[in-house]
Amino acid sequence: MDVQTLTYLIVGVTFALYIGIAIWSRAGSTKEFYVAGGGVPPVMNGMATAADWMSAASFISLAGIVSFTGYDGSVYLMGWTGGYVLLALCMAPYLRKFGKFTVPDFIGDRYYSQAARTVAVMCAIFICFTYIAGQMRGVGVVFSRFLEVDVETGVYIGMAVVFFYAVLGGMKGITYTQVAQYCVLIFAFMVPAIFISVMMTGHILPQIGFGAEMVDAAGNGTGVYLLDKLDGLSAELGFAQYTEGSKSMIDVFFITGALMFGTAGLPHVIVRFFTVPRVKDARVSAGWALVFIAIMYTTVPALAAFSRVNMIETINGPDSTGVSYKAAPEWIKNWEKTGLITWDDKNGDGNIYYTNGDANEMKIDRDIMVLATPEIASLPAWVIALVAAGGLAAALSTSAGLLLVISTSVSHDLLKKNLMPDISDKEELKYARIAAGLGVVMAGYFGINPPGFVAAVVAIAFGLAASSLFPAIIMGIFSKTVNKEGAIAGMLSGLFCTAAYIVYFKFVNPSANVSDNWFLGISPEGFGLVGMFINFGVAFAVTKVTKKIPDDVVAMVESIRFPKGSGEAQDH
Amino acid sequence: MKDDSELQPIQQFISALVPFDSLSDSSLVRCCQQLTIGYYSKTSKVVPLDESHPQLYIVRSGAFEVRDEQGELLDRLGEGDYFGFPSLLSGEKVSNQVQILEDSLVYHLDPDTFNYLRNESRVFDRFFNRAFAKRMRHQARFKAKDLTTTNRVNSLMSVDPLTIDCHASVSDAAKKMRLARVSSVLVIDNHKLIGILTDRDLRNRVLAEGFDGNLAVHQAMTTNPKRLSANALVFEAMLLMSEHGIHHLPIMAETPIDDNTEAPAVGMLTSTDILRGQSSQPLLLIGEIERQQDIDSLINVSKQIPVLLQNLISADARAEEVGRVLTSVTDALTRRLIILNQQILGAAPMAFCWLAFGSQGRQDQAACSDQDNGLLLAHEPDEHAKGYFNALSHAVCEGLDKCGYIYCPGDIMAQNPKWRLSLDKWQRHFESWLNAPEPKALMHASIFFDMRAVYGPQNLFEQLQNHVLERTKDNDIFLAGMAGNSLVESPPLGFFRKFVLERDGSEVKGMDLKHKGVALINDIARVYALSAGITEVNTPKRIRALMDANIINRKDALNLADAHEFIAHMRLANQGEQYTSQQDVTNYLKPQQMSSLIRHQLRDAFKVVHDAQSGLRMKFMRSY
Amino acid sequence: MNELWLKARLYYEIFGQSDLLSEYQQAYLSVINKPITSAPLMAIDLEMTGLDPQQDQIISIGIVPIEPSLMPLSIPLAKAQQIMINIDGSVGQSAAVHGIVDHHLSSALTLSQAMEWFVEKTKGHILVAHHAPMDIGFLQSHLYKTNGRAIKLPFIDTLALEKQRLLRQHDVLKEGSLRLDACRQRYGLPTYSGHDALTDALACAELFVAQVNSIGDINTLSAAEFISI
Repeated sequence: MDVQTLTYLIVGVTFALYIGIAIWSRAGSTKEFYVAGGGVPPVMNGMATAADWMSAASFISLAGIVSFTGYDGSVYLMGWTGGYVLLALCMAPYLRKFGKFTVPDFIGDRYYSQAARTVAVMCAIFICFTYIAGQMRGVGVVFSRFLEVDVETGVYIGMAVVFFYAVLGGMKGITYTQVAQYCVLIFAFMVPAIFISVMMTGHILPQIGFGAEMVDAAGNGTGVYLLDKLDGLSAELGFAQYTEGSKSMIDVFFITGALMFGTAGLPHVIVRFFTVPRVKDARVSAGWALVFIAIMYTTVPALAAFSRVNMIETINGPDSTGVSYKAAPEWIKNWEKTGLITWDDKNGDGNIYYTNGDANEMKIDRDIMVLATPEIASLPAWVIALVAAGGLAAALSTSAGLLLVISTSVSHDLLKKNLMPDISDKEELKYARIAAGLGVVMAGYFGINPPGFVAAVVAIAFGLAASSLFPAIIMGIFSKTVNKEGAIAGMLSGLFCTAAYIVYFKFVNPSANVSDNWFLGISPEGFGLVGMFINFGVAFAVTKVTKKIPDDVVAMVESIRFPKGSGEAQDH
Repeated sequence: MKDDSELQPIQQFISALVPFDSLSDSSLVRCCQQLTIGYYSKTSKVVPLDESHPQLYIVRSGAFEVRDEQGELLDRLGEGDYFGFPSLLSGEKVSNQVQILEDSLVYHLDPDTFNYLRNESRVFDRFFNRAFAKRMRHQARFKAKDLTTTNRVNSLMSVDPLTIDCHASVSDAAKKMRLARVSSVLVIDNHKLIGILTDRDLRNRVLAEGFDGNLAVHQAMTTNPKRLSANALVFEAMLLMSEHGIHHLPIMAETPIDDNTEAPAVGMLTSTDILRGQSSQPLLLIGEIERQQDIDSLINVSKQIPVLLQNLISADARAEEVGRVLTSVTDALTRRLIILNQQILGAAPMAFCWLAFGSQGRQDQAACSDQDNGLLLAHEPDEHAKGYFNALSHAVCEGLDKCGYIYCPGDIMAQNPKWRLSLDKWQRHFESWLNAPEPKALMHASIFFDMRAVYGPQNLFEQLQNHVLERTKDNDIFLAGMAGNSLVESPPLGFFRKFVLERDGSEVKGMDLKHKGVALINDIARVYALSAGITEVNTPKRIRALMDANIINRKDALNLADAHEFIAHMRLANQGEQYTSQQDVTNYLKPQQMSSLIRHQLRDAFKVVHDAQSGLRMKFMRSY
Repeated sequence: MNELWLKARLYYEIFGQSDLLSEYQQAYLSVINKPITSAPLMAIDLEMTGLDPQQDQIISIGIVPIEPSLMPLSIPLAKAQQIMINIDGSVGQSAAVHGIVDHHLSSALTLSQAMEWFVEKTKGHILVAHHAPMDIGFLQSHLYKTNGRAIKLPFIDTLALEKQRLLRQHDVLKEGSLRLDACRQRYGLPTYSGHDALTDALACAELFVAQVNSIGDINTLSAAEFISI
């Protein structure tokens, strides 16, 4: 069977699995069963959280970006992991104690103001849109490759699939569906990584293979370490050393910070912690989620390095001068159809050649790395199909969660609570679906016209979250003085500064987007942290000159921070 | 001579209206010629309705509101809408009020033409029947009526009457009567009822005349006894009995099996049955409960409760009222049991409240309810107090059990020390459920949050209730848990709105109107009420309070309250039928027992529940 | 006062006469002092070949009765009628206005038949018309032609009523504000597209019912108080 048929087959089977689970969990769970089962076990919930968490960006682009930028790419790994820990351990328990299901609701109540809630809703919606745009691009890449269409058509197909899944399917948000999605995506990610690790280093675990000697085809050690080889290749071709990186220290620091604090402000993951009834279980499942996320995140650098070596060697050939286009590996031709790889025979020798600088003849989109790796390494066709299913699983689970947040926020928080208090349930639901549909369409637009590759788009979403929601939440929990005027001014100024900085460098004047022009050498991806400081500063300043916070709110904040009984049940 | 050139503007308007568009041209012309036109000025506020002249009102321009006697909005009407059809179809008195919102021009259609058109066009007929059914659901349809005047004979009679062949001996008849402990036997000749033999006949026509027991029954019986059909009114039976000085009435089936035979006897009604029926009216019953001086006689009185329920059902009372009436009887019984036991045990060592949970709390008890109760103590009891309340609660729960309120299978009863707690402990219990909304806690919450103090100082109870509501209000995480819990079950509608039936092996059990109907609405109302800190626990009252507080959209709230009443009423009616036909009383309704109109309405009601569940999921769980 | 004057005029005309018309006026006398809510009323409208009662002719007459009811007046459509009248010569230019073409009139009544019909149908009813003096003028002139006698036809003019009402509210009347459709709109009545005698009579009847409804204490008013002479 060829790759395409297999892809249809495996993607079809996984979809059937999700739908099957959804039907089973709807029909099979009578009340007695539900009560007897005592809810969802923490391990399962951990997997579901991990599926929510790991988006198409993690699955498709993370390894690609690490692969292309080496050490620089690791900021994503550090930022996201740190953010997750911050969210799970430092914020979720407090928010839970407050009894609020969504971040805007928390902000609205803590800052005793409908305006603050509305601003928070706007921020959340804005962030989610950006985030979904990243997912759409990822789905587009998957479809374009496996249906052999260009990436634009791929995004259209992806939009249809996500719309069907999120708006009509009725299978989203079901824990066991997400567990299945996690299983599919982690399996799809690990299988090629293990295959390649065995092929290149003889180690089954890619994490170990990453730091090990390379082996030749016969399995004998060559004495050359993978990373040394990669550094050598990079130097030879004029790239920065793989393990060194090119970003300035301050930029790395700020990007990591923005990603980390942005994570904590993302609305859709927090909800998962609240669907677990007991605080203890919520903590345990957060721990499990960290384990499940770590399985993938620790594999990313290894996979990135393997595929980098493989890629350079297959393009440039054994003698590093390039191979003839006619003899070029199959995967290059396959990906050319999507428009994500282009060959420009500058020196007219009929060979393909990849290097840094003017002599480079290959333009390779970073987002294809994970998807192309099995092909580059000539793995069996079913592995390639599996990766497609995995990418889809990652994109679906995350975008469904986000679309729910956006659409319910629009219909419930914006329309019902602000603009049309008299609408019926049915209309509210209708508006939610319309909002989700619009979300998909807008995300699709930005998926086709991306301001950067998937991970970078997503990084912007995090930057916005870090500059707007995160400070409001932190001050809400830990400050007894910040009042509504302060919070609103802080959120708006943080969001506005960050968005302006990003829009300027990414859209208005992209040619100026080099480190010399940046504020303190901080890239747009990292500016969210600056926005966060602005937010804090403005909030405290405005608080100083405006009315004091009411006493009952002070009492409320004190009760949140009161450590005992953050919801521990006494057993009876 | 006269030119019949039609009134073009009127015909144009009428012919475009559903269902008039389905009429033939000639019917349409005839219809238009029979119209009269009226004008309703806003200044006169209400449409004057002539009860002796019902007619169909077709709104040509303007706007109206239909309200019931309590002023509840039933419908809002504009151009092309109709009113007045309910009394046309039912022949009943007009009870709704039509308020004039704007100056309006209205066409009136007289009953004769209306009925003519109904005969002409099935579409026309069906349209108004549906509209009528819908309006019925929208309004307080099932008024509790005076029991003696609307009650039917079949609700009081004993079924399967004792019969004997006319050639049998009177001593055989007497033995049969003794065995069945009845005072009369129907005499049958060749499957035909020819007479009745009563205690009095045996006395007057056999013993007093000096005959022996071998006398044939037909020689001693009263021939050709007065009889009534099963759907006659109790009132008629009373009339017949007093007119003829008799105490026994054979009750015949409504229709004969075939034309040649007469309808078979299906029951027997005695004057005692009628007396019993009357004394089971709620106020009388409650009064009686309060007069009883010992527990045994209280248990005896409680035997009337099932009869009361049957009476209410056959009187077509609103389900909401049935629930309230039955619950107030249970409340009275509970209070009397507490008082009588306190007379034995002495005064309580501290203030306490007897709490009712679940259906008693919500005031929607129906047939065969179990007990859900608990004790709220003013403060932590010492050993002596513990002993006292232990004895009291055991005695009361046992008394309730003997009165027909079986022990709670989940042991949620005051006699269980777990649910006999001080105010402080109750508060902590509720908090623990709030903080860790696990499935079991939520199941408990759904029972305990519908609480009401049946006995004891109200302010003690309010301390508990306010404490709890303060914490449920705006606690989104807990409410999400509650919402999730109430969404586990869904109404029995499948694809294409087909009914989904439950099966037990190969046997079709039908639709569970409680767990997949009424209970779902109770759950929905509870989540909203807790989110808004509303103290009501009765579901219709909760919905009303939520509507007034503008938490549920007016239309949604009215629909939900209607659906609740309709499904609950169906459940009661079904149980009444099961009871009279001596089947097990269950919550299951089999769809083949319903008319197509009822099916349609039930489907509508379930759809309302389904939509309300979607709304709940959307609002409290942020999902859809 | 109005009532007395009206009665006096009618008595004067009837005096000494004993034909169809005086019976008609006699019947009129018996209803004018009834309350407006229980007096028999008849809305009428005419289609004419022109505007001059002396020269032009009536082409058709529409009559729509108004009856007492709970509301307090209602219009039974069963008794609404229209007749066509055979005229001398052709319909002429006005055909465009009311869409009556000559061959429509072929099945029509002669003028004397028509007047007989009119008298019979409206006997004992108070006439109601919009811009009534015009219609009444035509009727009087045609009755004169057929019966050889001029009589007084008391009537209610919905236009005059509306004018009084508007003047009480505003001091300036906008142009066209007294046209039938404009009046109807003020009472929330629908606009009718047709303009035959019957439809216009109906439109006028509805307008009058609406006007009566908008007056407080209608039951205390007698029919005579609405009548212009």
